Amino acid sequence: MIPKKRYLLIALVAALAGTAWWLAPSVLEKGDALAPATVYTRSAETGGTEKPCPNEHPEWRQAQTIDGVSIDEALSCDPDNPYDIAAAVKGTNNVSMATLMQTRMAQDAVVKKDDLDHDGDPDVIDIKLEVVELNGASPDGEFLINTFDIAPGIRPGLWVFAPKSQGMALKNFFTMQANPILRAPSPTIRVEEGDKVTVTLENIHYLPHTIHLHGVDHPFMTAAGEDNDGMEEHAVFPGSSHTYEMKPRHAGTMLYHCHVQTAQHMMMGLSGIFVVEENKPNNWVQTFNIGAGQVRHPSVKVKEDYSREFDLLYQSLDKKLSAIIQNANDVRLIAKRMSREYNITESHENYFLLNGHSFPYTVRDGLIAAGENEKVKLRIANAQRSPMALHIHGHKVTVTATDGAERPEVARETRDVLDIAPAQRLDVDLLTVNDGLHSYGPGVWMFHDHASNGETTDGMEPGGNISLLGYQAYLDAQGMPKMHGEMLDVVFDKNYYAKNQPPWAQGDFTEMLGEPGRIAPNVLKLVAFGLASGAALGFLVYLIFTGYRRRQ
Amino acid sequence: MMNARHTTIVAGLLLVGGVLPSAHAEMMHHQGMMMDATGMIMNANPDRLPRDCPQISETVELTIRAGHEHAKKFPGKMFAYDRQEWKVKPCAKINITFINDDHVRHQMMIHGLPGYLYPEGMLHLELFGHGQLKASLILPSRKKTYLVHCELPQHQEKGMKAQLKVDGGDGDLPSIPGLTEPVRADMYPVDWNRQHIGMVLFSILIGTLAPFLFRLKKK
Repeated sequence: MIPKKRYLLIALVAALAGTAWWLAPSVLEKGDALAPATVYTRSAETGGTEKPCPNEHPEWRQAQTIDGVSIDEALSCDPDNPYDIAAAVKGTNNVSMATLMQTRMAQDAVVKKDDLDHDGDPDVIDIKLEVVELNGASPDGEFLINTFDIAPGIRPGLWVFAPKSQGMALKNFFTMQANPILRAPSPTIRVEEGDKVTVTLENIHYLPHTIHLHGVDHPFMTAAGEDNDGMEEHAVFPGSSHTYEMKPRHAGTMLYHCHVQTAQHMMMGLSGIFVVEENKPNNWVQTFNIGAGQVRHPSVKVKEDYSREFDLLYQSLDKKLSAIIQNANDVRLIAKRMSREYNITESHENYFLLNGHSFPYTVRDGLIAAGENEKVKLRIANAQRSPMALHIHGHKVTVTATDGAERPEVARETRDVLDIAPAQRLDVDLLTVNDGLHSYGPGVWMFHDHASNGETTDGMEPGGNISLLGYQAYLDAQGMPKMHGEMLDVVFDKNYYAKNQPPWAQGDFTEMLGEPGRIAPNVLKLVAFGLASGAALGFLVYLIFTGYRRRQ
Repeated sequence: MMNARHTTIVAGLLLVGGVLPSAHAEMMHHQGMMMDATGMIMNANPDRLPRDCPQISETVELTIRAGHEHAKKFPGKMFAYDRQEWKVKPCAKINITFINDDHVRHQMMIHGLPGYLYPEGMLHLELFGHGQLKASLILPSRKKTYLVHCELPQHQEKGMKAQLKVDGGDGDLPSIPGLTEPVRADMYPVDWNRQHIGMVLFSILIGTLAPFLFRLKKK
């Protein structure tokens, strides 16, 4: 080939390469005068949606008496199992076998005996707790076992204290769901002032744990001279048990939590409310409030002063910490990643729970349902890593006790934002009296952490610990808020929290605030790009090849 | 309202009736569930023959121990039985002594049994703490591998899984410690050192030179 022809070919290769460059496809392109159309993403067809209220046990809502234990009405969609309540009040040793079989509790989960002060109620209370892993891994495949959804489609790895149970840990043979007493949060524990209480930790988990009785009057050592403060250096190892002893002399709202690597273990869910009730005659207290929430068998003293009582436990989770137990099965790998690789000082809280659930599941069982002109007692504990600023819409509430110590009348504050430091507890009076101060009238009022991370589920709002204060007139027969149907339909959908769905694409605005579509690729341009770049490459190879031959 | 298993439990209880406190002594010859303060047995079968078994072929005495100490020989596991596999003949009767060496709950469930003898296809033994219990079962003649495990959260996952083979079994179950590979294996770093890296580099060098060596020879 003559050199002149070669120069022409070189020029041609350059021109083709330039053309290819100019036609190169890109990931993003400018929109035209008419931007791409809205696409439909509502996932009703793909099965992501669920019924706002599954209404599994409507018969559990009504007031009833089981084994002689009176159980108050619960208005919410997902009321506590009344048999659990009867067993927790009478003791699993005193309740009938038929009742016990309607719970999943072991016979020795809470043993009540000996009326030491002869006032008509048992004073020796032996409680047994196990540590249970929810949403854990399995070496048998890519699935989670003993699942517990905190919100639609959200299953972070969790640890909870659970009443000692018996039988199957799964709900039934056809699911990976944990049975109903294996759930977040750890149950509220209730005892009476002066009771001789033991709490035994039977550690069925694969890592060491303890129980620290935060704020509950307990001696530093047991009668036998063993650890009684749940300190890290006295961890209860897998397969062992340890009994903590106390005879609390002071009533109030306290806490219990694991004190082994507290930073991680509390963020994994190992905390619960511990209530010491005032000593009164015939005071059979509800020793376990499984799932916290409404106390359906309040103590004698609470019943004297209040129409309803609710336990509200706030917790937060870090999705990276929670994922550690889901990404390995080797317990040494889990321990290493959790203790030495995870760094809480470089961490975030991603999930915010009220009584084990995030909105919208909080509406099912974390709802405060009340009538007008009632005095409601709230026991609030912050077991989050961060402080919170709890705001109740439409109400100002009065703090009557902090950290289990009563406030003198003159020092009581009435506020609409409650600042609660980590591990602090507040006893709060909520009045549903429409006087323009305590209540602005009936409705379905939101309440949530106003430190705004807490309103989200991994950044997706509405989520987190948002819940509702619903006046009876505004709740339907299933305990769901009236007038919120459309919104609930949007959020009871795992696609919403997977961030696959625009939040306001409803009615008139289905198009206007929907998902923006993509630009259709220009096929002619793509083909031209392919031809140009291919030809440039081909001629280049040809040039090199002929050049080599010529030299030879 | 409740799931099927609850119904089974309640039915079992009604049968057991008044003998509950002394259920341990009375454990034989009851269908359904038996429970006392130390443990529970569901669906034990000491005497009813499977349809395909004219008679019991052999009687095997099995002592099965459970606890964290049995997992010591399996790196990365926390709970295990003392053995991971048992083999019996078709139509064998097994007298199990189940011993819990830990001070917390453990279970021993055998799954896949015929439903007409074992409701839900399962024998379920559970000890509420340190202790032991005895129960019997009779296996059908079919060549089959049965899953044996503890269903407590994370116990099977962290090592408490085994298999019972009748007539040599019809295969192996996955994730049995020391015996079969997990379906979802953990990843571990490989312990490379300088020598290994040197070896790889040297091999690459030799490989690169190979065509030239070949050409030299040809000339």
